[in-house]
Amino acid sequence: MINRLEATRYLVAQLSDEPIVASCGNPKFDLFTAAGGRKANFYMWNSMGMASSIGLGLAMARPDRKVIVLDGDGAILMNLNSLTTEASKAPPNLIHIIWDNAQYQITGGQPTHTGGKADIETMARGAGFTQALTVDTLDAFKEALSRMLIQPGPWILVAKTDSSEAPGRPPKSPVQIKHRFMEALRETE
Amino acid sequence: MEWPQKIVALLKANDICSISFVPDTVIGRILLAAKEDPGFQFTTLAREEEGIGIITGEYLGGRRGVLMMQGAGLGNCVNALASLAVPYQIPFLMVISQRGELGEFNACHVVMGKALRRILEALGIQHYTVNREDELETVLGGATKTAYTSEQPVAVILTPSLVGWKDEK
Repeated sequence: MINRLEATRYLVAQLSDEPIVASCGNPKFDLFTAAGGRKANFYMWNSMGMASSIGLGLAMARPDRKVIVLDGDGAILMNLNSLTTEASKAPPNLIHIIWDNAQYQITGGQPTHTGGKADIETMARGAGFTQALTVDTLDAFKEALSRMLIQPGPWILVAKTDSSEAPGRPPKSPVQIKHRFMEALRETE
Repeated sequence: MEWPQKIVALLKANDICSISFVPDTVIGRILLAAKEDPGFQFTTLAREEEGIGIITGEYLGGRRGVLMMQGAGLGNCVNALASLAVPYQIPFLMVISQRGELGEFNACHVVMGKALRRILEALGIQHYTVNREDELETVLGGATKTAYTSEQPVAVILTPSLVGWKDEK
């Protein structure tokens, strides 16, 4: 099992100023803990499931930048249809990472269907992704990431994580989050 | 120009170059007109809610998108509007083709037809209705300007008075 915060820290250490869209729930908490000072972080405080769609729109609007989505298993299960849209539009700069701990951790650890019969990588392939991987160790995560950052995507990476606490809390003003993120993107135009 | 061409010209005049949509016959006519212009990008959505996310991402990256859908699709968008587009102040135009008012043959479109504007109002989203072709420039052009001034989504509703209704018994 992968520690989500450790993997998030490793991810941001490999990046410069590539935009990251972090889903509501724990992905955004760990992103803030790992790199709170980073301007190119977009923290979602709600709209569960929309991270994949925001990432797709951003990847299409900014083909010059790699766009990273940090999603969760519960969130992508709520917007599974977005996998078909991502795969059809297929922006090569899109890296969609799904932290899969098979539970709705933030609401008390109720199981999601990925703890039972559902497999996100298989669904992503069925949706049309040709590059989809599942990893369950930090070493495998690092190796997959090094490929994804070099080779054209779009990529799906399902990372099996544990359920360590995510204590970090990003700023709560949506408008402040938006302006800071847009400013970071404009600086790299 | 007929209404589909007029809508496309107004989008272009406002630098809106990306169309995310779930089609119906009305939206289909706009898409046909837009496909005449190589400057437009098209994204077929599997569900309307995706469009709120995609257009948000496009806007963050500096590109203007429009969401086109039937009124029924607004029901699929409610939480993404309430918890993403409105609080994060993401401006865009929603072009909504209305069912369930004049000339409706299908009872299952009537309830959403009645609820459409009240849902938008409950979300605090401004909406404007186009009944005649000669209103398009003022209403759709004006609504677009207001959306980007206020940094909020704004809806333009196309009624059967403008686009006609399905001729079924």
